[in-house]
Amino acid sequence: MHTPTDILRQQFKNVWVVAELRHGAVQDVTYELLGAGRRLAASRGCQVWCVVLGHNIKPVAQALIHRGADVVLMVDHQELESFVDEVHARQLQKLIDMHKPEIVLCGATARGRALIPRVAVLVRAGLTADCTGLEIEQGSGLLLQTRPAFGGNILATIKCTDFRPQMATVRPRVMSALQADPSRAGRIIDESFSPDIAGRRMKVLRIIVDTQQTINLADATFIVAGGRGMGGKEGFELLSQFARMVGGAVGASRAAVDAGWIGYSHQVGQTGQTVQPKVYFACGISGQIQHLVGMQSSDLIIAINKDPNTPMMQLADYAVVGDAFEILGDIMEEIRKT
Amino acid sequence: MSINEHIEHKIFHVELQTPKQNVKTLPELQENLDQFARKYTTLLDQGHCVCITDNPMGLLSFQGTEVIKELGLPCPAGQVSVHLNTFHTPADLQRIIDDCLKLGIGNLLIISGDGSDRLPKLQPQDVAADEAASVTSVELIRHIRQRWNGQFELGVAFNPYEPFDHEMEKMRRKIDAGAQFIVTQPILGRHEMLDKLLKLVDMPVVVEAWMSKKLHLLSLCVGYEIPEDTVHNPMDTLKQLVQNYPGCGLYLSMLGYKTQLPHLRKVWN
Amino acid sequence: MKIVVCVKQVPATHDVSIDPETKRLIREGVAAEINPFDYYAIEQGVRMREQHGGEVIVLTMGPPQAADAVREAIACETDRGILLSDRAFAGSDTWATSYALACAIRQIGGVDLVLCGKQAVDGDTAQVGPGIAAHLDWPQVTYVSSVSLVNVGCLNVRRMYEDGYELVEVHLPAVLTVVKEINTPRVPTLTGRIASLKADVPVLGPSDIAADAGLLGLNGSPTRVVKTNPPPPRAAKSVRLEGPSRDVAKRIVYEMRMLSLI
Repeated sequence: MHTPTDILRQQFKNVWVVAELRHGAVQDVTYELLGAGRRLAASRGCQVWCVVLGHNIKPVAQALIHRGADVVLMVDHQELESFVDEVHARQLQKLIDMHKPEIVLCGATARGRALIPRVAVLVRAGLTADCTGLEIEQGSGLLLQTRPAFGGNILATIKCTDFRPQMATVRPRVMSALQADPSRAGRIIDESFSPDIAGRRMKVLRIIVDTQQTINLADATFIVAGGRGMGGKEGFELLSQFARMVGGAVGASRAAVDAGWIGYSHQVGQTGQTVQPKVYFACGISGQIQHLVGMQSSDLIIAINKDPNTPMMQLADYAVVGDAFEILGDIMEEIRKT
Repeated sequence: MSINEHIEHKIFHVELQTPKQNVKTLPELQENLDQFARKYTTLLDQGHCVCITDNPMGLLSFQGTEVIKELGLPCPAGQVSVHLNTFHTPADLQRIIDDCLKLGIGNLLIISGDGSDRLPKLQPQDVAADEAASVTSVELIRHIRQRWNGQFELGVAFNPYEPFDHEMEKMRRKIDAGAQFIVTQPILGRHEMLDKLLKLVDMPVVVEAWMSKKLHLLSLCVGYEIPEDTVHNPMDTLKQLVQNYPGCGLYLSMLGYKTQLPHLRKVWN
Repeated sequence: MKIVVCVKQVPATHDVSIDPETKRLIREGVAAEINPFDYYAIEQGVRMREQHGGEVIVLTMGPPQAADAVREAIACETDRGILLSDRAFAGSDTWATSYALACAIRQIGGVDLVLCGKQAVDGDTAQVGPGIAAHLDWPQVTYVSSVSLVNVGCLNVRRMYEDGYELVEVHLPAVLTVVKEINTPRVPTLTGRIASLKADVPVLGPSDIAADAGLLGLNGSPTRVVKTNPPPPRAAKSVRLEGPSRDVAKRIVYEMRMLSLI
């Protein structure tokens, strides 16, 4: 395997977004990446292609075009219906070898994180996972990939100078989707499935949908946490309600766990878990140092407490003085209304 | 020997931590084990009660009864007490209790304990407490009381630095579940909340004395800032505790084996 | 069953610094621990050996002190361990790392199963497991929350997704990455710890694992870290909100909508 020369590198063109479908529906992260892709393509002066692998997927093409794809590259085959990593990876590899994209983006979802690293090895490409920023570098035209590392202590910028394509995964809700524009036109390329890549070594036996699955505290982007001020188990039922509404996880201070109001798996802090969500609601939590060390890297901290002077109220970006039950009730009402 | 008898005979409870697991070399581990054995036997020889911790602060340490067995240390009746927290697998819990019974360790301090991402946690169904949201010292004490009824004297912790109503509510539940004695967090001479507790409960109370000069460590332990300018000479503080709480036992943490141990008898006799 | 568990030694997250030249981690002198997710992979390997017999070998790549990570795994009852350590490996990104680990696994020979933790807390990339599978050309299943052996050479596993899970049948040899739901890792005993401190940890270099030097280290890595920054600082002071609950609630919801949080 050789480092591609400049001439070979020039053959690689266009920004690809590998679509994520769940049960036939395009996931939001795909639209978000098409939005990001359009921005990158404008800087590079190239097109945005959306790659869709699956079965009976023709209906999704138009929506992808309306959301920014110039080309929708589809491989529609029974063998691609369920996600068998090596089959999807080899198919994507074939497409990359055939059409030579310069940049490949994919959602950092369970499926994306399984598929793209495998493809990156197969095509000898650089991959940066969980990017929070994507830019084209002035002058070189290279993709600049930014991501946090070491539990959020450091922001790293990564480049892939010599190898193509430049690959990146991005978590949902990081990039912004474009509004659907029905006047956008694009074309569809139907590639056929290559029988030689069909797999016999893995089979999906059953698919079980479970939307009640609780979100892992460590992965959660939105955490609603309660402390002594929540008064009891009922307080945590209220927090659970709010968390469900916003797609978040419930956290707790040690005092609440020790009081038997909620399980230890929800404990945030030095002797519990360390979290870095985008937003951390601290309800009735005074903010002992052992708790603060577990959540101080949160992007946005909103504290609700009757006492305006607790350590948590001082740390918070928004310190809401009031009764958590009342405030949360009104917040949920406001969300429902608007 | 029961706690009441410890108090009556003025027997100190001395905390002894087992060696930490994060040793890098065999000689280092050997040295730590030897040091543990030396302190352990010294304390027993001087007639004190050794209290062995259970992964304090969530720092992975070797388990007390396993160390005692491995080193072949003696367990004279009534002179060894073991902390037991909720961060164990059910199998380990069983093993620890079995070891205690075999070794003749009859005194357990049941605490919720400090967790970490390395420590497993008892689940409600493990201690026959399916309706509980979480396993705290309350559920664990109830479980031990029911399964091994009468075979252990069970103690619980009291933290005067937490809001009193909250702490007394927890204490009521612990007593309901079967607590038979109480050990406090470190008291610096006197504490209002301890005075209140003593009026409310009718069981032996053992007061903890912080024998180190380092107050910031104490702050870490109890979870609240102890003011830096607090006057604290450990031996003087200990004398104050003897004076202020005559009917209580004494639990010594961070004891200086060279500087303080030889003088303990003078303070409480 | 011959099982290889790949683990990574990571710096304690509060103690990191970056080499300004290579832009990669300075690993010396920083308190290190095994990546927390790897304990689940270790435990899974050990349980499968207890059930089906065989051998569990722990494998890691890193500077010389990564031998401690191997010993830690032996304390958790893996049978033996191997450390890949050589200047040639330094500065590897996940492509080069998974390549080196795959070479080592081939060298060990006769491996039925490779287990990895879901992701590493430093770098946080979750790429190495699938990367190893690609280099070995083995099937892979990620985010596995339970494993059962159906018959010799075939596993039934439960694979987690955001909205549910799948039951998957996979033929061995295969690579699995596991999540925390799969088991509760055992705490090492004193006996286990003593054994780990006595264990001999062989250290292998590129020639020991028949690795192509051009595919290793900084020069063999397609990606390059060009810049590191501390994250943007937290705003200096908090905004206090008080007054009628309804108004406060409106403001909060507005702020959250502005930041696309809801």
